[in-house]
Amino acid sequence: MLDPLQEAQASRDRRDIDPRVGALLGEAAAQRVRARAPAPRREPERPTPAQEAAPWIEEGPSYHGLPVLKEPVWGWEIPTYFFTGGLAGATAVLGAAATLAGGRGTGTLVRRCRLVAAGGAALSAALLVKDLGRPGRFLGMLRVFRPTSPMNMGTWILSAFGACAGLAALPALAPGAAALAPAADVAAYGAAALGLPLVGYTGVLIANTAVPVWQQTRNTLPILFAFSGAVSAGGLLDLWGTPGAGGEMAHRFGLVAKGGELALSRALHREARIVPRVERALRTGRGGALLAAARTLLAASALLDLLPGRGSRLRRAASGGLALAGTLAIRLGVVAAGRASARDPHATFEMQRAGRGAAELARKEEAAPGEAAPAMPSIPGVDATGKESSQHGAAP
Amino acid sequence: MPEVGFFTDTTLCIGCKACEVACKQWNQLPDDGFEFTGMSYDNTGQLGASTWRHVAFVERPAELPGQGSPRDGVEAGHRAFAELAPLGQAAPTSLLHDIAPTQLRTPVSLGPTQEALAGFSWLFLSDVCKHCERAGCLEACPTGAILRTEFGSVYVQPDVCNGCGYCVSACPFGVVERRADDGRAWKCTLCYDRLEGGLVPACAKACPTASIQFGPLDALRARAAERVDQLRARGVEQAYLYGEDAASQPGTQGLHAFFLLCDEPEVYGLPPDPVVPTAKIVRSWRAMATGVLSLAALALGAVFTARRV
Repeated sequence: MLDPLQEAQASRDRRDIDPRVGALLGEAAAQRVRARAPAPRREPERPTPAQEAAPWIEEGPSYHGLPVLKEPVWGWEIPTYFFTGGLAGATAVLGAAATLAGGRGTGTLVRRCRLVAAGGAALSAALLVKDLGRPGRFLGMLRVFRPTSPMNMGTWILSAFGACAGLAALPALAPGAAALAPAADVAAYGAAALGLPLVGYTGVLIANTAVPVWQQTRNTLPILFAFSGAVSAGGLLDLWGTPGAGGEMAHRFGLVAKGGELALSRALHREARIVPRVERALRTGRGGALLAAARTLLAASALLDLLPGRGSRLRRAASGGLALAGTLAIRLGVVAAGRASARDPHATFEMQRAGRGAAELARKEEAAPGEAAPAMPSIPGVDATGKESSQHGAAP
Repeated sequence: MPEVGFFTDTTLCIGCKACEVACKQWNQLPDDGFEFTGMSYDNTGQLGASTWRHVAFVERPAELPGQGSPRDGVEAGHRAFAELAPLGQAAPTSLLHDIAPTQLRTPVSLGPTQEALAGFSWLFLSDVCKHCERAGCLEACPTGAILRTEFGSVYVQPDVCNGCGYCVSACPFGVVERRADDGRAWKCTLCYDRLEGGLVPACAKACPTASIQFGPLDALRARAAERVDQLRARGVEQAYLYGEDAASQPGTQGLHAFFLLCDEPEVYGLPPDPVVPTAKIVRSWRAMATGVLSLAALALGAVFTARRV
């Protein structure tokens, strides 16, 4: 005899298996189904069909126009993490450089850099946990060390960075911890060394996907993200009104990076444009709008900086605010473009037909004839297929 | 343990979806919400967290060499129903309205339905996780939840998966999906539990036309090559294998679930030249190194030029 609660739950899980007849033991039995009603589906933002944009272009065949790839599942947390992680990493680098240079008027800058680095790391971890659902899931990333997965590498980098940045910020946070100052300096250099990959790896992370626009721009994305981090670091310290020589250091760091960032956002389009259909995601829809807004914000910020005359505090703060908004928009825009690109089957098809799929690798091997067997490139010393562990029965 | 997999011969598929049903039943997958796509007889749409086999229905305005004409069907149907004629059921289908039964022996012009069906063919494909030799999901998984089993298949361990969603974007075939209310990634397991028990995967077992064939990969490859020769000898010149080994699909080093197709892969919603993303990533790491080192140089330049001693 089944109690009514059990019976009600059995009928609610969309398997409709009567527990008196069958037990839930299948491979998908652990799949949790919470709602009887289908999950509320976000209205997908469709890429403009080619016929609408340019009626003379004939689209190739596809399966009823359905996407070939699954859309990236990340919500706002992940692009925001790209922003906070980049900000934390770049401030750690700037702070360590200022510590190294020393001189008058850098004290405030160094202290603020360490605080921002530690705060940014904490916020980043919180955003990742929010995306995953609960803290234990973040720790799941640390059960293996896996060089083939940029996400795994990034988790290690962020964790180590967070530890260093936290230690470096201790004297600034707790007045009693002044005795720790020498250790904090060492930790600050450690945070800077880890901050460098932290700023850039997120570009590699999204480039290491099947999403056409991300895969196609894999050489520009990491550099673009690295410079975005620098721009946001300079922008935040400008907004905060960092005084003295330290403020000038942060301002110069941000200003030069801003120029690089604007050039790199052009380069992003140029790299994507090799296959025109792939570039479309960067120009149209939400992604295109966000990227255009980001360019405008960054250009406005740079213009404010370059106006003649010594900048007032207010002007600096405005420029910093614009730069911060611009770098956040660039991350949100790249992720939104990735979604649109994954939804567009023709982006995948045309990219691969244009020889930008596996054929690209074969061409490179021909160009540089090395070993006889054309092995797929992989991270050295790592069994990419996972067969080694399955044959030896070792847990991965 | 020899590596096993699927050979899906799409020329034998009749679109009955028995594989979809068998998979759902055996693996106890929940329903997908009973939605109506309104585009074809395919209301499943694509593979997903709760759909591990999916039958694609391709309607083409072109004939496949060797396929029968609509009249063949009408005549066969008429013969089958001939015995029932005295009971007053001479015209059970709308197709028969187009053609007078008495005229069957002599050539007649095609009726409107038949004309609409001439120059038309169905292609069916029972899609499934490809269990790639170099699997994008496996290489991207940051927790080690995705592993290679002793059968050569790619398996997601639900108790380890932390729902990061990276495998979803790393799969060049769009197979893996994260279920919103579960929060974890799910896909075909090649019926790992059945293989452990010495059984054939549920979809292959249920397939009534041997379109889905299961077995050791070497044997399947040999059989598939033979089948292609056979079809070509019959005039189906378009028949070819998709992803049967590393030579035919270098980007994945070959699929453990490969297909016999009769049209371009795009028609079935398959990528023409898929590649495991990790194969291209070394250059991206190098680009990152360039980027962050110039960032370090920039930071040093900024602090030393603005320094006041």
